[in-house]
Amino acid sequence: MISRLTSGERSIALMLASTGALIGVLMGAFGSGDPMGVHGWIVLAFCGALILVIGNNFYDPEPSEDRTLSYYDDPTKAGLIIALSWAVVGMGMGVWVACQLAWPDFRFENAWSSFGRIRPVHTTGIIFGFGGNALIATSFHIMQRTSRARIPDQVAPWFVLLGYNLFCLIAVSGYLMGVTQSKEYAEPEWYADIWLVVVWVSYFTLYVRTLARRNEPHIYVANWYYLAFILVMAVLHVVNNLALPASFSGAKSYSVFGGVQDAMTQWWYGHNAVAFFLTSGFLGMLYYFLPKRAERPIYSYRLSILSFWGITFFYIWVGSHHLHYTALPHWVQTLGMTFSIMLLVPSWASAGNALMTLNGAWNKVRDDAALRFMMIAAVFYGLSTFEGSFLAIRPVNGLSHYTDWTVGHVHAGAMGWVAFITFGSIYTLAPILWKRAGMYSAKAVEWHFWFALAGTVIYVFAMWNSGITQGLMWRTYNESGTLKYPFIDTVVAMRPYYIARAFGGLLFLSGACIGFWNVVMTIRRAPLKEPERDYPMNSEEPQVAAVAGK
Amino acid sequence: MKEVRDPLTGHMTTGHEWNGITELNTRVPRAIWLFILVTHVWALIIWILLPAWPVGTTYTKGVLGLDQRQQVNKEIAAAERAFAERDRQIRERSVPEIMTDVSLMNYVMDTASAIFGDNCAVCHGTAASGGPGYPSLIDTDWLWGGDTDQIMETLRVGINSQHPDTRHAQMPAFGRLGVLSGRDVRLLVPYVKSLSGSDIPAEVRAAGEDLFSRNCSSCHGADGMGRLQAGAPNLTDDVWLYGGGDNDIFYTIWDGRQGWMPAWQARLSDEDRKMLVIYLQELADGERP
Amino acid sequence: MLMKIIRVLIKPFASLYEAHAVAHYRIERHSMGLSIGIIIAAAIGGLVEIAPLFTIDETVEAAPDMRLYTPLEQAGRDIYVREGCYACHSQMVRTLRDEVERYGAYSLAVESQYDHPMLWGSKRTGPDLARIGGKYSDSWHVQHLVNPRTVVPESIMPQYAFLRRAVLETQSLPGRLEALRRAGVPYKADMISSAEVDAAGQAKPDSDLADGVFERYGEETAIRNFDGQDGRVTEMDALVAYLQVLGQLTDLPESNSARDE
Repeated sequence: MISRLTSGERSIALMLASTGALIGVLMGAFGSGDPMGVHGWIVLAFCGALILVIGNNFYDPEPSEDRTLSYYDDPTKAGLIIALSWAVVGMGMGVWVACQLAWPDFRFENAWSSFGRIRPVHTTGIIFGFGGNALIATSFHIMQRTSRARIPDQVAPWFVLLGYNLFCLIAVSGYLMGVTQSKEYAEPEWYADIWLVVVWVSYFTLYVRTLARRNEPHIYVANWYYLAFILVMAVLHVVNNLALPASFSGAKSYSVFGGVQDAMTQWWYGHNAVAFFLTSGFLGMLYYFLPKRAERPIYSYRLSILSFWGITFFYIWVGSHHLHYTALPHWVQTLGMTFSIMLLVPSWASAGNALMTLNGAWNKVRDDAALRFMMIAAVFYGLSTFEGSFLAIRPVNGLSHYTDWTVGHVHAGAMGWVAFITFGSIYTLAPILWKRAGMYSAKAVEWHFWFALAGTVIYVFAMWNSGITQGLMWRTYNESGTLKYPFIDTVVAMRPYYIARAFGGLLFLSGACIGFWNVVMTIRRAPLKEPERDYPMNSEEPQVAAVAGK
Repeated sequence: MKEVRDPLTGHMTTGHEWNGITELNTRVPRAIWLFILVTHVWALIIWILLPAWPVGTTYTKGVLGLDQRQQVNKEIAAAERAFAERDRQIRERSVPEIMTDVSLMNYVMDTASAIFGDNCAVCHGTAASGGPGYPSLIDTDWLWGGDTDQIMETLRVGINSQHPDTRHAQMPAFGRLGVLSGRDVRLLVPYVKSLSGSDIPAEVRAAGEDLFSRNCSSCHGADGMGRLQAGAPNLTDDVWLYGGGDNDIFYTIWDGRQGWMPAWQARLSDEDRKMLVIYLQELADGERP
Repeated sequence: MLMKIIRVLIKPFASLYEAHAVAHYRIERHSMGLSIGIIIAAAIGGLVEIAPLFTIDETVEAAPDMRLYTPLEQAGRDIYVREGCYACHSQMVRTLRDEVERYGAYSLAVESQYDHPMLWGSKRTGPDLARIGGKYSDSWHVQHLVNPRTVVPESIMPQYAFLRRAVLETQSLPGRLEALRRAGVPYKADMISSAEVDAAGQAKPDSDLADGVFERYGEETAIRNFDGQDGRVTEMDALVAYLQVLGQLTDLPESNSARDE
């Protein structure tokens, strides 16, 4: 991979990695005795490994390929493999935390293996590790194809991908050491947050630079969604993570917001991480790979416009539905509830647009598990957005909040929507990237599909049952009109559902492992086949696209 | 690329193409408009009725004038009114009277079981049978007195709690503070056990008795029967809060003991506490053959 | 007739959409235009909902008796954060009758005024902790944290026995209090400078160090040997001190529920 970089690019890459290593040394030195010091050594090891890899191939011959004639897919390939690795790690952690709830001693004696510390490893591993890498990898692919232009340089995508994974690594290792802000889905501490901003700005720049080189007058829908994902996540991330470090040589910091303002800011962030990370980004994926695989035109461009702007505008308002009946002022709760209901229309418009696109391709859905993954994803997207709006209604939320119903809802989205669309996309993308005739084993894709679907259904049903049961038990009054169940009774009642949930998760994890294996085997064994047209030129105007500046 | 008609749906494409992907220019379906209308009108109604929009330093209060805090206060007040009569009876009638009133007893048992579960069970166990360091509440052994008023008072003020009237007791750490040597404590252990009836050699008894009368009898009484006002337990009944093994008793004397029970006056109402007492009595009666 | 009304009502939405679609068709040719459009569309909701929380006075109630976390309690809070307790315990009694009856008066905004970050939580695998302070004894908390199942056999909470062995790191406390002061918690200069001493003093009732804690944080402060071990101050001391102050910072919530009746 390094040999495809020019010597100038290799020098830049080496400089960046060395700077990173230097920062690692500084962090390690100033933060010694603090988890920050450990993070310094992790940064050093990460960048040191990069220096070794680059240095090893530093004097390889200059690449001779004509860059205007091909897309640059190496980072996409790497991103895909990394995403799958995070999937296995994140889902594995998920199964472990699920087991801890059913069998609380299913852990080590050490501090790091307690539920509170590894639960964020699971959430970050899935959302940022698996989801984020899948988004970055697919976005590199999609932005080049839909622009019919090659990515402008070869260092930036690596910087984004590897920099992002360094962030994930620091985040996850931090939790195990107890480094966390205890802000859900924004747990990493200040230096990791600052680093993510750097990575994210270069990601946005790269995206816009690629779009600027495009050979199509219009920007495709998938790119709108990826842009919304990148931009709004940046705003959310910066605002919610504003914090004052207790010392610049330690990890601990305090949020600048406190109490009720912090609660609102946190859930403004928290819910829109769902919106712009787990919805917008993956809708981008759906809008590219679903029509591509189904070989059908998008059902309605007009509907795309309506749902895109609807989602972008309405979603931001709904975070306060996480705080119904709390000390958050009543008026904010009302706004959160009403906007959640209005949000349902653009959400369903998206899901409908996807499913209607499949008209004329249902026979393919039947035969092709990859497309079926995407179809089910659209269905679960529709289901969980409906459930989300439903749970946002105040009295419903009064019952569901703080229970497993929320957990079930999140997993209907994360497993049924996010993971399904990602796996469908990966099965579509892997053969294209590695120029194969197809996946190594179509049967394995089928197995993965049914494992994943069974796992999701078992999981979600278990959590519906436990959530509704617990919510009802908390508010059950006996015939005398007083509370019937002490809290501990509700804990006992959850046990069978927790076991079922762990089992569902295990099925889902098994499916992911099969998928990982299948991708690896596709790379190693599947027969080669050149794709029909996969180069950055406008087919009707065969002149070469704008030449890269350097 | 030109706008063409999709043969399957009959809709026109937009004329754009991205790496083989095209789009139809299908109109937004009617159902979507209807859906938008319904959700927006509903939202508008809610905004008019409830507190909703911020305006500078205040917000629109809504024509219903509802507020979540007033709502829950009202709901709780209504529930209290509904219980007023039963609560009055609990307050005014004596425990034996209540215990013979079947309908009132149903109320007491229903209510007190959840109160017990959410407040007391974490120490005394869900069956109120206690555990190491936390006394059983269904036997006849009561450190601070077992009649209703005494239990009520213990519940109200707690033991060694922050309540100004708290019951207070502390067994000193005889060994750790150097009052007794390790040898003395080892002598005391068999003697203390013998108070509950076990046999020991006469010379051990004599030595123990001497140590006991000089160090322990002021609280536990010369006969070891304990003293309620001091919270000093009876040592002759073979009930051991902190364990009755040689080791347990040794450490009790060596390190001392101090029980801690929270005061419930601020957390539970007078009626709640009285119901708890009755509940425990009922549980204890159920335990007896 | 009904269809007609509906059509009339839908009209404004449809024409708004038409105008928007035309604008969009133009804007989708410019990546920066699209970006700015996205930022504007996404900024409105956040601004309208968050900014007024700072300007509307009644958002946070006035509680003159509201006191600050002592350094030991704050250190305990940091341990609560570190261990991710928020993943299973909320600190928010909602305005629902069953919650008030189970946990006590509903939570007020002022109670978490000095909480950076707030720990209202989003899941109750275990019970709410907003009013746990003073409910159980220190020794119960220690026993329960060391191994929850020794006191509550049905519990599924992890063991935190290591807290009793871990000596509390207090050197960084002045820095931490200073950061909190800059975030808006009214710590005074002497509170910050004596944070280390106060943290030790609060867990050592028999030492002279304890007096300063009363002086700086008020007579209500609980000064006890929280973990029951003599000598060193442990993380268990800090965490139990924090748990014991939850819901005890102000008396407003109870008087508040009584007043509105």
